[in-house]
Amino acid sequence: MSPPARARVWPLVLLLAAAGVNAQEEPAFDASAFEKKPFELGGYVQLKQEHSSLDRSAAFYKLGFFNQPQRETLDRITGTLQLAGKLRHGIGTFDFRTNSDVRRDQLARDDHSSIFEAAYSIRPNPGLTFEAGKRALKWGKGYAWNPIGFVERPKDANDPQVAREGFVMANADWISSPGGDLQTIAFTPVLLPVGSDVNRDFGERGHLNPAAKLYLLYRDTDLDFAWQGEGSRPERFGMDFSRNLASNLEIHGEWARIRQFTRPVTNPAGAVTNETGDATSYLIGARYLTAADTTYIAEYYRNGTGYSDQEARQFYELVDTAFATGNAALTQKAISLSQGGYGRPNPGKEYLYFRAQQKDALGLVYFAPALTVMMNLQDRSYQLTPELQYTGFNNLELRARLFLLHGGSGTDFGEKQVSRKLELYARYYF
Amino acid sequence: MFDPRQLLWLCLSFAALPAAHAIDGAQILQKVDRNLEPETYESYRQLTDIQPDGTKKVSVLYTMKKGRDKVVALFLAPASDKGRVTLRLGDNMWLYIPDVGRSIRITSLQSVTGSVFNNADILRIDYTAEYDVEAADEQKDAYLLSLKAKSGEVAYDKLKMWVDKQALLPLTIECYAASGLLIKTLRFRDVKDFGGGIKRPATLETDSPLQKGYKSIMQWSGLKKRDFRDEIFTLNYLPRIEELRK
Repeated sequence: MSPPARARVWPLVLLLAAAGVNAQEEPAFDASAFEKKPFELGGYVQLKQEHSSLDRSAAFYKLGFFNQPQRETLDRITGTLQLAGKLRHGIGTFDFRTNSDVRRDQLARDDHSSIFEAAYSIRPNPGLTFEAGKRALKWGKGYAWNPIGFVERPKDANDPQVAREGFVMANADWISSPGGDLQTIAFTPVLLPVGSDVNRDFGERGHLNPAAKLYLLYRDTDLDFAWQGEGSRPERFGMDFSRNLASNLEIHGEWARIRQFTRPVTNPAGAVTNETGDATSYLIGARYLTAADTTYIAEYYRNGTGYSDQEARQFYELVDTAFATGNAALTQKAISLSQGGYGRPNPGKEYLYFRAQQKDALGLVYFAPALTVMMNLQDRSYQLTPELQYTGFNNLELRARLFLLHGGSGTDFGEKQVSRKLELYARYYF
Repeated sequence: MFDPRQLLWLCLSFAALPAAHAIDGAQILQKVDRNLEPETYESYRQLTDIQPDGTKKVSVLYTMKKGRDKVVALFLAPASDKGRVTLRLGDNMWLYIPDVGRSIRITSLQSVTGSVFNNADILRIDYTAEYDVEAADEQKDAYLLSLKAKSGEVAYDKLKMWVDKQALLPLTIECYAASGLLIKTLRFRDVKDFGGGIKRPATLETDSPLQKGYKSIMQWSGLKKRDFRDEIFTLNYLPRIEELRK
């Protein structure tokens, strides 16, 4: 039926609606079932199965399996329960997120629970919020990395969207909308204490670390200026931006400088020197959506605190020497170094991240295959991750990923513990 | 004395009367905007996405709008999307995901729900904010407005909008790409009195020749005028949007 013809039957539609003749239509929607409650609880349960092929010649295999039974493969099953809740009273809200894991593989069985977030906030008015407790602040515009994420735990570039544990802090949020070209201005000051039983992994104990972020929405561009004062960690500052060049093309970037950052650098003989200097990191990225609903994300990341190809190679040579000679002191030194900067998920200086995801692929709604590539640009080693995701069942997310690591001896992805990993998970939200 | 030429001029003048009452498409579109929603309001919406095999996925959103181009929508259901918030300020759109803990920019043609409705439909701002009226024609029971996007940032390049002549509410909207391709058709129905002088369709149905067999339905409830401060329509406020619900 053409629209004008439909227009002619409009009175009939009205009449039928008034008479309640809508048998084949959706039942009327009543929002009363969704009233705000003083207490809310939700979350998810997840079951994850991983099968890893171990690379016995790799440096991080040797370090990880030192004095343990040697293996070719490892199968791990992990059950996770994440609970998130809110308790409201007056102008105050207490919210929390907990995470509990039970893990079993051929080597061990362990369980771990932690409070990711638990904070009380009050809002005297919509433009002002005060908050105290454990909070996971997320600063920066990068998808895989965030150089200006000054007061948060590091993001896992393999799982950038997963919730992370926060730090205990007090913070405020002041928002203003002046209008005109400067549409929004928001200021977030933070105080983060570090003591023997609070935020111990943030840095040196005995400091109350100040930090702040200023956000502006200026002429359709998001701008953030972030700062963290000297205390448990060296002083650092930086900025980010994000804007749409077209409705389907977004660009973003981050820049950060850490003052007087100290890096331990080893030579193949295990002589460690602490190099101190300003470290500058930056990231530039883009997100593009095609007419066929393919999303491309590309990011270049320069990690100012990372190790160059040559520096990393010297560390891998140290590991080889330690294990080839059986020198216990060298082995302990290598293990100790691997627990610091050398053992980070992305310890290198330059990375490229690329991800392509197709929505509703093969004509299947909610089926989204993806391919992710992460490359260390200096040593040319890389990780390729094909992925299948299906979200067509209510509240159920199914995902399968295959991690394929490529790289020669002495390279970033060539020296990781695992050379291949298949990961399957089912996550049910409630 | 009677002059036949005077009679002829009189007849011609009457014939020309409709021209003197030329349809003001822009004014009709303004009325459509205000009849659909007050400029500043809150509402609840249910989105039902129906697959060709009849499988349904239902989302519920709490929506707030201020002025011509500020909209925010909070997902209340399903549980997998609960707490997600989308914000639109003019041509800019963001999505806040609680697990991720920060906002990312999204585009108007994407759909955060995987629906036939895209983000521009879900976070719709006033038609007059996005479109100019190119032509307005009067039909038997409806006005037909031909609308052209004011900029390339708008989701649909052209709209054909059939407007009920009596109620000045949209009946059907056809959405076209710049190439002339019909992207989708929106059909409004079930006019309901929401109180406070708001009487408008409670149901919007859409399908698309690009997604054959799929259908999405949007239903309104609890639509009422409510004033909000500008600070609510900012990225920093998105994690706290739910606290505004009464």
